[in-house]
Amino acid sequence: MNSKDLEFYGDLAPLLIEKENSLLSEIKGILDSISTDSETALAEHLKSRIKSCDSIKEKLGKNDLDENAVTGLKELSDVIGLRIVTHFVGDIYTVLEKIQLSKKWRVVTVKDYITNCKPNGYRSLHVILSVDFDYPGLDHINVEIQLRTIAMDCWASLEHQLKYKKNIKNTELIVSELKRCADEMASTDLSLQTIREMIQNHE
Amino acid sequence: MKILYAEDEQQISRAVTEILKIEGFDVTSVYDGGEAWGRISTGYYDAVILDIMMPVMDGIDVLEKMRNNDIFTPVLMLTAKASIDDRIKGLSVGADDYLSKPFSMKELVARINSMLRRKNQYKNEILKFGNTSLDCTTGELKSEKSSLRLSNIEVELLSFLVKNPGAIYSGEKLNEILWQNSKSADSISLYIAYLKNKLTQVCSDSSIIISDPGYIFGVKGR
Repeated sequence: MNSKDLEFYGDLAPLLIEKENSLLSEIKGILDSISTDSETALAEHLKSRIKSCDSIKEKLGKNDLDENAVTGLKELSDVIGLRIVTHFVGDIYTVLEKIQLSKKWRVVTVKDYITNCKPNGYRSLHVILSVDFDYPGLDHINVEIQLRTIAMDCWASLEHQLKYKKNIKNTELIVSELKRCADEMASTDLSLQTIREMIQNHE
Repeated sequence: MKILYAEDEQQISRAVTEILKIEGFDVTSVYDGGEAWGRISTGYYDAVILDIMMPVMDGIDVLEKMRNNDIFTPVLMLTAKASIDDRIKGLSVGADDYLSKPFSMKELVARINSMLRRKNQYKNEILKFGNTSLDCTTGELKSEKSSLRLSNIEVELLSFLVKNPGAIYSGEKLNEILWQNSKSADSISLYIAYLKNKLTQVCSDSSIIISDPGYIFGVKGR
């Protein structure tokens, strides 16, 4: 968190950072429970972030809501966001199953944008959790976990750049090529998954 | 290249068969329309030569049955010299070319070759099956929910299976029909597995059933 964010979140800031860290270690525990061997580890990486105040204000402003931190925590599900990036598509669902079994939170919704990809080609699995929170008027907050493969992550980071760059030439071409690449990568993700199953069935 | 040749006049059949064999074609000769249909329906042949006047089923009926069953093997019709009506009828039900009797063997060979060349350009089509479509040019496999891009080999394999739903193909048979035995048995079973998973991923209502005698493509639950 930078100073601007600290100012925005005020006394919520330490609580959020603490919650973020505890969620990170919970998820790390889940990942380690599946495998700690670097060769068979499910996750390529695990990241988290607390939404910047600019981003929260923009989102709240769009919906005509008060642009303060408490409203943000009540209305938005991704003030705390975690991202798990896996090697294979199948791993996403293995991790999802473990998340659903955990007693540390309640799963609010699972949005499967891998099966139902967005029209632009975006693929990820979003899980919204409701977790305990200790602040007057906020005994629960929602947090979002995004699960995706390395290929999906790579695609999303490029698409993100497109979204925030102004005045790009050939936008139409780039959008259609990104969509094509997303479909090719998803296809390759599945081919890799199939090959892995074939190798594992041999063992 | 495997050719099915249907002609009820034994003498012409023998002569043409011999010459086509010399030209390097793998020819199967049959003598009536019923037998012709039985063989064509396996999807095994690269091209079909059909005489019009034949017992059991005439050439037009065989051709009509082929196209109605989504079998798009190229067909050359042999028509009687005078009959323009036969030619038009043949072309309108889906013949790719015709030749009127008596014909020169050189011309027959040239027309078969040109037909086979064109066969490879039939790729620019969009196949629809159930809730799913396959664009054979771009390799896009698509349903309402999602889409994927397939590789060329996957497109060749899936488009063949889609055109022959319900038929059983062993891996060896597919290898022979699609790739002139240039692939290994393992690679074919891997490509089948790819397609099975990819059809599932786009929530297709069709799938490939892996059974003991071979692979069958069809709509789930039917």
